[in-house]
Amino acid sequence: MDGVRLAIISSRFQGICQRMANTLMRTGRSGVLNTAHDFSCCILAADNSFVAADESLPVHVLSGPDLMMRHVMAFHPELKRGDAYLNNSPYHGCSHPADHTILVPVIDDDGVHRFTVCAKAHQADIGNSKPTTYMATAEDVYEEGALIFPGTKIQQDYEDVADIIRMCEMRFRVPEQWRGDYLAMIGSVRIGERELLELGSNVGWDVLEEFVPEWFDYSEQRMIAALRNVPSGRVEIKTRHDPFPKLPSDGLEITVKLEVDAESGMIDIDLRDNPDNIACGLNLTESTATAGAMTGVFASIDHTVPPNAGSFRRVRVHLREGCIVGIPRHPYSCSMGTSNICDRLENAVVHAIAELGEGFGMAEGGSLLPPAAGVISGVDPRNGENYVNEIFLFHTGAGASPTADGWLTLTGMGSAGLCLLDSVEIDELRFPIRVYRQGLAPDSEGAGRRRGSPGAHVEFGPIDCAMSVAYASDGSTFPAAGVRGGGGAARAQQIKRDVAGREHTLAACDEVRLESGEVMISITQPGGGYGPPTEREPERVQKDLAEGWITNARARDTYGVVVGVDGMIDVAATHAKRKELTAH
Amino acid sequence: MRIAVDTGGTFTDLVVENDDGQLDVFKAPTTPGDPIIGIFDALSAAAEARETSVAALLGSTATFIHATTRAINAVLTGNTAKTAYLATEGHRDTLLFREGGRIEIFNYTVEYPDPYVPRSLTFEVRERIGYDGSVVTPLDETTLIETIAALRETEIEAVGVCLLWSIVNPAHERRIGELLDQHLPGVPYTLSHEVNPTLREYRRASSTCIDASLKPLMSDYLHGIEKRLRDTGFAGRFLMVTSQGGVKDGDFVANAPIHAINSGPAMAPIGGRHFAQVDFGSDTAIIADTGGTSFDVSLVRDGRIPWTRETWLGEVYRGHMTGFPSIDVKSIGAGGGSIAWVDGGGMLHIGPQSAGADPGPACYGQGGTHATVTDAALVIGLLDPAYFLGGRMALDVEASRAAIERDVGGPLGLDIEDAAVAMMDVMTENMVQAIEGLTIHQGVDPRSAVLVAGGGAAGLNAVAIARQLGCTDVVVPDVGAVLSAAGSLMADLGDDYSATLPTTGATFDRDAVNAVLDGLARKCAAFIDGPGKDAASHETTFFAEARYSHQVWEIEVPLERPRFETPADVERLVTDFHSAHEAMFAVRDPGSDIEVIHWHARVRCRLHDAGFGIAERAATDVSPGGKRNVVFPGFGAVEAEVIDFRTLKTDATLTGPAVIESPFTSVAIEPGVSFERTMAGSLRIKLHGQANEGAARLAARRW
Repeated sequence: MDGVRLAIISSRFQGICQRMANTLMRTGRSGVLNTAHDFSCCILAADNSFVAADESLPVHVLSGPDLMMRHVMAFHPELKRGDAYLNNSPYHGCSHPADHTILVPVIDDDGVHRFTVCAKAHQADIGNSKPTTYMATAEDVYEEGALIFPGTKIQQDYEDVADIIRMCEMRFRVPEQWRGDYLAMIGSVRIGERELLELGSNVGWDVLEEFVPEWFDYSEQRMIAALRNVPSGRVEIKTRHDPFPKLPSDGLEITVKLEVDAESGMIDIDLRDNPDNIACGLNLTESTATAGAMTGVFASIDHTVPPNAGSFRRVRVHLREGCIVGIPRHPYSCSMGTSNICDRLENAVVHAIAELGEGFGMAEGGSLLPPAAGVISGVDPRNGENYVNEIFLFHTGAGASPTADGWLTLTGMGSAGLCLLDSVEIDELRFPIRVYRQGLAPDSEGAGRRRGSPGAHVEFGPIDCAMSVAYASDGSTFPAAGVRGGGGAARAQQIKRDVAGREHTLAACDEVRLESGEVMISITQPGGGYGPPTEREPERVQKDLAEGWITNARARDTYGVVVGVDGMIDVAATHAKRKELTAH
Repeated sequence: MRIAVDTGGTFTDLVVENDDGQLDVFKAPTTPGDPIIGIFDALSAAAEARETSVAALLGSTATFIHATTRAINAVLTGNTAKTAYLATEGHRDTLLFREGGRIEIFNYTVEYPDPYVPRSLTFEVRERIGYDGSVVTPLDETTLIETIAALRETEIEAVGVCLLWSIVNPAHERRIGELLDQHLPGVPYTLSHEVNPTLREYRRASSTCIDASLKPLMSDYLHGIEKRLRDTGFAGRFLMVTSQGGVKDGDFVANAPIHAINSGPAMAPIGGRHFAQVDFGSDTAIIADTGGTSFDVSLVRDGRIPWTRETWLGEVYRGHMTGFPSIDVKSIGAGGGSIAWVDGGGMLHIGPQSAGADPGPACYGQGGTHATVTDAALVIGLLDPAYFLGGRMALDVEASRAAIERDVGGPLGLDIEDAAVAMMDVMTENMVQAIEGLTIHQGVDPRSAVLVAGGGAAGLNAVAIARQLGCTDVVVPDVGAVLSAAGSLMADLGDDYSATLPTTGATFDRDAVNAVLDGLARKCAAFIDGPGKDAASHETTFFAEARYSHQVWEIEVPLERPRFETPADVERLVTDFHSAHEAMFAVRDPGSDIEVIHWHARVRCRLHDAGFGIAERAATDVSPGGKRNVVFPGFGAVEAEVIDFRTLKTDATLTGPAVIESPFTSVAIEPGVSFERTMAGSLRIKLHGQANEGAARLAARRW
């Protein structure tokens, strides 16, 4: 092991990924890409093992690029320089059909396939039967309607395969937006390819070939060391997804069996004891079932362990074919393979690790896709043009960790807070909407020694036109749970206010038509707390109160902290109140 | 005569420009509590060297230019005014939610950052303007006056006002300003459409509140220092360095202190641009400023210095984004004080932790025990233990060797010299990544750029960095150690004006655009006749901030002419946009229409047109010279010529191995690399055909 070479070449790989990501973000067209940053860039070795990524969405890269390229190579045994492949197939390693992935084999001057560069980006539209990339109720991939590319050559000799482009342009809504995003992805992978070719010819391909296994060994050692700190044990956690259309009326129970063997530095996650595929869009893919489990593991250990095929050797994820939390059978739909059930999975894993011992794991966080992050569509009366795009006015709450309160803008563990929020002004300029309110929802957090992040209260609606809003707001019935004595989160809510000011409660998962002047009210899901709220430092409670995150009643009744009208902590009253609360 | 003073965290740098263009350089320690002491200490040193008094020195000074880290330090340490934020009803949490974002995906130990203004001091104003400037909800003045009464009661010291769409219709913000004047007299406030008329409410609110919060402090400070100077005999013009790389009258900055938030690092590229031009005739440069703890990179592209609104005070996504135009400077924690460590898996890291100046590297013998980059440079012979700071501080080589053996050599199984070389290699790699991150971001090819090395520690690996980047040309200016202060003598007086008028290539509204551009031109003309009236020359340039349809990030496209008379003029803008986009991002989309959002005018008044002479002639602390053994990464130990920077002649081209040293810096010249002194006093280094061999040398290292 050469610690200097490791440092220099791993930094080089990281730099290449960063430059790919920067190109993608700056040139993308859709809000999903250029504003929300819902994309990832990574590098695979010649055997498709995952080497490095920019700070990427865990659910995009921890598993998936490797599987996708394996299928590409099976379909195209002869890879040539100048090729690019499009894969968005949930049955061929992609996370879900909306995540178009461009894979480019990096071929050296002797024609040898050395690495693969990969750019994966959530598209604004993929030709679904409805104007959303999230088809929660799709019976199957046919009703879902997405064009599926199981590893299709989209460039040859650095030129587009025009047939494929034309198919996309005929099928995707706002095709020029898709084409712009496609160009941005091509720009990104070609920059990555160019830089890897330069690196290879400069330091020698043989050196890079030696580096990769060393890098994996190094990462594996770091992983073993990290897992040695976690208490050994076996835990089974059950969590329940809300009753959505086509799910059981009491929701969908998901079971995670997790076992840590600290001594040997191994962690096993068994997801096989879960229901079979269901005829709806919520099925996970092989990629997201694996990545979701791994996301929970990496969030719970020493965060400096590099995630790659080396550290992955110490995580065994057991999946079953035909399982909703496993490997999907065609033609079941995986339209929402990166969100709902995947969120539940990630949160159940951190919850399970928290059960192993104090100071480990995390509380559960919320699920994605409240109306505040819904897909809006319609015709813009200002120019007569169609639009369809996901808006990002707020996502969902984060669970508390043992050391920190939940990160307010986490956007779910699978995206790790990398997805950005929209500017209200940009949204109002681009779409015929007005955002009436965007602020946090007091008292909604899962209380705890470390508290979950609160939900948001967002109100928006169309101006001078009707608009469709598609969303899938899990946590409206079964909110995020706290751990180790921490409190659970408040429920998500979605309400329509009509022009007369009357409020109508909406279903947790729906596509709603709003008329001009009507308002969508989205109260997003908060995160759960870690540890008993009565152990929270009174100064932290005092600050939450002063800042309006919680009310006086909650400070007193939930946290047991009594604050006077002067804003000062009443120490004696606090002591008595906490004694009373912990007596029960 | 002109004087430039750069007050940094540790040192106050002072450069005197004599009427014949000759520069004299002085340094004094900064007194954090009262920076004016450091400034007058440096002035005393300058006066002493000229055998005159400070009063006489100031009396003959026509212009006094000042850069300071005071504003940014006040923000980072929370020592700003108690500031309230007035926001549009329903949008109280703009500063809390920001634009989202997070770093270190699996690090859940970091708390979510507090908003720049606490929620408890944020107040909603009942009003609303639409995206097109229409009044959706009129301003409710009655409730606002009650809010202002509450501000008075809480003893608010400054107010930031940022309403949605005020950049399209500022009526409500203006009216709030009037009501604040009336009901809260004497309390400074900032209106967002005035200070930073840009789209995106978080960025605008952030610059507004930062500006307001600095007003009491910075106006006291700037008026205080100007008064001290005038009381001591100064009768010239007092100018402040701005984040945009220009200078502005001190009074202007006192009223809009956000202009000074990044004033320190903004000047290195101005100085760098000058030296790339005079020493290599190049208008493309990478400026690398290496100090003890941080490494700042900036660029010059086609003679222009790229700027950004995404400047963070503190860490990205954990600090506060200013949202305010600033020279694009990328900083990483790397420098002479950076600490080397080997992690549990056996990989070497350099920094980001730094031993700083106190306790400093192990070789300082001041209690520091960690192996730092300075220790590595000492062990491989780049530094002379008897000639550090011109011999004013003896370095302990044995302490360095012991630290490197313990922290690096032992864990990696390397002997001490190899371990020290490895440390230099990893630091070089970190710096190269920082540079490439910025060059690709701004569309600059490093191979066509001159690398300008400034800062005391820059010379240690400037040539190694150039090799990795593929740069053939390196300049180490003789004022490199005070590059920022020297840069401010070259800065232009200027201002920037912008207006928001969205239009597209296909539906281009020539009349409306021309009206906007005429308005901007009038503002520039007024500036030239006002603050710029004594300038040697002036220049006004116009830009469109444009993007492809559906993109959201604009790029800047210079306008050939500030008017659109015919469709061909519009076509020209569209063509120029395609080229600019391709230059930056390697792709163009000729089939796509473009959208222009902002129109921008930049006026620059040159205060100074003459060249500069050689800054320092060797007078004191001359290097003993001679030869010494130096281990150059990739070459092994060789005997290198040691030459005092200031005794280098301008008429000879020499070849490495060599070490060029002065009391402030030490430049490593690898074998086969040629160097010479230019007429401007700089050290000009040529890598000949060796560029791009950097990586090959990396390959030959040991694997």
